[in-house]
Amino acid sequence: MAGGGELGGGQKQRRGKQGKRKIKKRLGFRLDMTPLVDITFLLLTFFMLTTSMITPQTMEMNVPPELDVPIEVKQSELLTIRVRDDGRIFYNMGMDAPEKVVMKGLKKVVVDQNVALKNRCIVVLKGSGEAPYGLVVQILDELNAAEPDIIEGLKRIGINERKRKFTVAPYEAKDAEELKGL
Amino acid sequence: MSKIKKKRIGFVLDMTPLVDITFLLLTFFMFTAKFKSDSENQQKFEIRRPQTQSDTAKLADKDLVMVKIGADTVSKDTAFYVSMINEQDIVNLRQAMLEAKFPGIDEKTTVYKIKDTVWLGTIIEKCRIVNPRASFAVDADRRLRYRWVELAMNEMRKKRATTFNFITEKKMGM
Repeated sequence: MAGGGELGGGQKQRRGKQGKRKIKKRLGFRLDMTPLVDITFLLLTFFMLTTSMITPQTMEMNVPPELDVPIEVKQSELLTIRVRDDGRIFYNMGMDAPEKVVMKGLKKVVVDQNVALKNRCIVVLKGSGEAPYGLVVQILDELNAAEPDIIEGLKRIGINERKRKFTVAPYEAKDAEELKGL
Repeated sequence: MSKIKKKRIGFVLDMTPLVDITFLLLTFFMFTAKFKSDSENQQKFEIRRPQTQSDTAKLADKDLVMVKIGADTVSKDTAFYVSMINEQDIVNLRQAMLEAKFPGIDEKTTVYKIKDTVWLGTIIEKCRIVNPRASFAVDADRRLRYRWVELAMNEMRKKRATTFNFITEKKMGM
């Protein structure tokens, strides 16, 4: 009975000391938040567990377009890195005999040769078709990681420009032949 | 002189800040969550990407031609899975491939499973025509033999797509 209540209030007002309406103080209300929190936590854990924070990275690769005229490269300026079927890595300068190298040592070789040849070195990566792809990418990554060191090394000898990077080439039968028994 | 024990009738804890933070985190995770696309759902292989340390470039989310190379978990055969990302490109590519009479194509095809290099060359060419700005991304399993990637690289090179990306994973704990 709202009307009755109001009427009663009015009477009270008139009877009050200062003539002011006495409002019943509201103590706020309690809402049981537990189910809300339950569901929220459930959803939160779901989204937290399903989100993968690792976004794929990319490695940009440039290959020379297929040209009819092969580009002449001086043998002495060519650093060949070859990956054998079993995943072993070999490198050689020009016509030198191939030398075995481990992944960790590769960076040093590339930096040293680039600096020694004063920016004229061309690095060619030849990966065997049987070698795992992950390994080839790792080598490319090492070559990329070597770039800052090469630039720094070149600066030390007074060269401020870095032109050539590296390229990939097919692994041929004669490459396999050369690496046999090493 | 015994103390009168006041009976405790539970206590009230103000949960408001807790709820605030929880909702904040919830909305954050909800908005950042990326759901698998339809084509990813059909994928029958798992790709373990090669791990690298130096690259921090993020993969573009449009104008992209994705060339996945994976071995089917059931039949164990390795194949190329080519797909495009942009909605319009998907439609246009399907049209182009229908004209080229790609085997097993229907009105819903978004991913093209290819086993031979001739079709790979064809689809790369079509992708280049459909969206000349599209960049190529090669997503291959790290355990795969390099030969497969080399094949894809050669085909892209023939079609004058000389810049492409290898999708990698950042090595942890470096």
